[in-house]
Amino acid sequence: MSRAQEAQVRSDRRMGDVAIAAASVLALGCAVLLLAGGAEHPPPQPSAAQAARTDAPGAGARAAGTAARALPPSPPDRIRIPAIRVDAPLTGLGLTSSGSLDVPPAGRPDLAGWYESGTTPGETGTAIVAGHVDNADGPAVFYRLGAVRKGGTIEVDRRDGGTAVFTVDAVEVYDAKDFPDEKVYGPAARPELRVITCGGGYSRATGYRGNVVVFAHLTGSR
Amino acid sequence: MRRTARLLTGAALAAGAVGLVVTPAYGGDSGGLEVFPSSVEPGGEVTVHTEFCPRGAAAGDASAVGTGSFTLAPSTHDEQAAGRFRVPPSAQPGTYEIVATCAEGGKRVAGDLVVTLTAPRGQTHPRGSVKTGVGGAFGHDPVRTAAGVTALAVAAAGGTWLLHRRARGDGI
Repeated sequence: MSRAQEAQVRSDRRMGDVAIAAASVLALGCAVLLLAGGAEHPPPQPSAAQAARTDAPGAGARAAGTAARALPPSPPDRIRIPAIRVDAPLTGLGLTSSGSLDVPPAGRPDLAGWYESGTTPGETGTAIVAGHVDNADGPAVFYRLGAVRKGGTIEVDRRDGGTAVFTVDAVEVYDAKDFPDEKVYGPAARPELRVITCGGGYSRATGYRGNVVVFAHLTGSR
Repeated sequence: MRRTARLLTGAALAAGAVGLVVTPAYGGDSGGLEVFPSSVEPGGEVTVHTEFCPRGAAAGDASAVGTGSFTLAPSTHDEQAAGRFRVPPSAQPGTYEIVATCAEGGKRVAGDLVVTLTAPRGQTHPRGSVKTGVGGAFGHDPVRTAAGVTALAVAAAGGTWLLHRRARGDGI
């Protein structure tokens, strides 16, 4: 091999080494980015603009649509929230020993529940629906509930064959330490609906700080 | 002996009666006709439905509680027949059998309705926040983790190869 050929081989090798070194550094950078940072996917939370208007009670409700006549009692079968692509079966829920609303089984993240000792969705009063935002494996049925906006539609299929249509009045977040029981669960003079999931910030030590609550009232049926 | 038997029968009947009373407002599906609420005040409205009638039409009979006949129509979103009636304000407390006869095939389904003077529903509402999440959405995305591990393996392989070359004295 001539001197010139030898130099050529050395130069080629050096180029190859530099390329491999560069690729390795790049791969290491990618690995750090992928494994360490930005792996969290917090569920969406409502903005302050989605809260109920406190200056003029009921103003938001009137703007969102006129209240429809109450329906007779009938247990619900399914809930649909088209804006966040929810179409979920409903199971009956009771109360826990501490008096809080029970939740659907954690192993069924696709399932939502309704408080079956209370008002049925569509009849006069406050009907309550709850579902998980996530379980240990990842997002669940109401993961995107915090992205629901005022004026949005919620539909509930009822066992009497009809569908109750609700319009969203407000989407709020409450801290578990200061939960407004009367506002969320208290009786109403017209058919209303609450849809509840976890939210309001999260820490690994204490879990979710509170709940996202969607307030809606009946505006139609079919 | 006979006395013991009678006592036992009495106890069994009493237990059965208690069982009926404490059945939650969701029962009433013995016999194929679900009645909701299964326990209602006089003057209250009741919804019944059944999945046993083909094409979902049936004739309902609530004459036991003093209402008379009503119609069950096919549901718009499933294969069930559903109907409703109002319990007369004059109805006396007690358990009444509500019957429906399928329009097709003539099958008879029945369910129990309890009329009570105290409102059984909506008396207590839940308290406090709801435990509907554990933070699983915050975990590592498996696809992302796999990509990260692959990238790490590539970096390790590259680094090892370069070190190997240096050790052999080929030099960089």
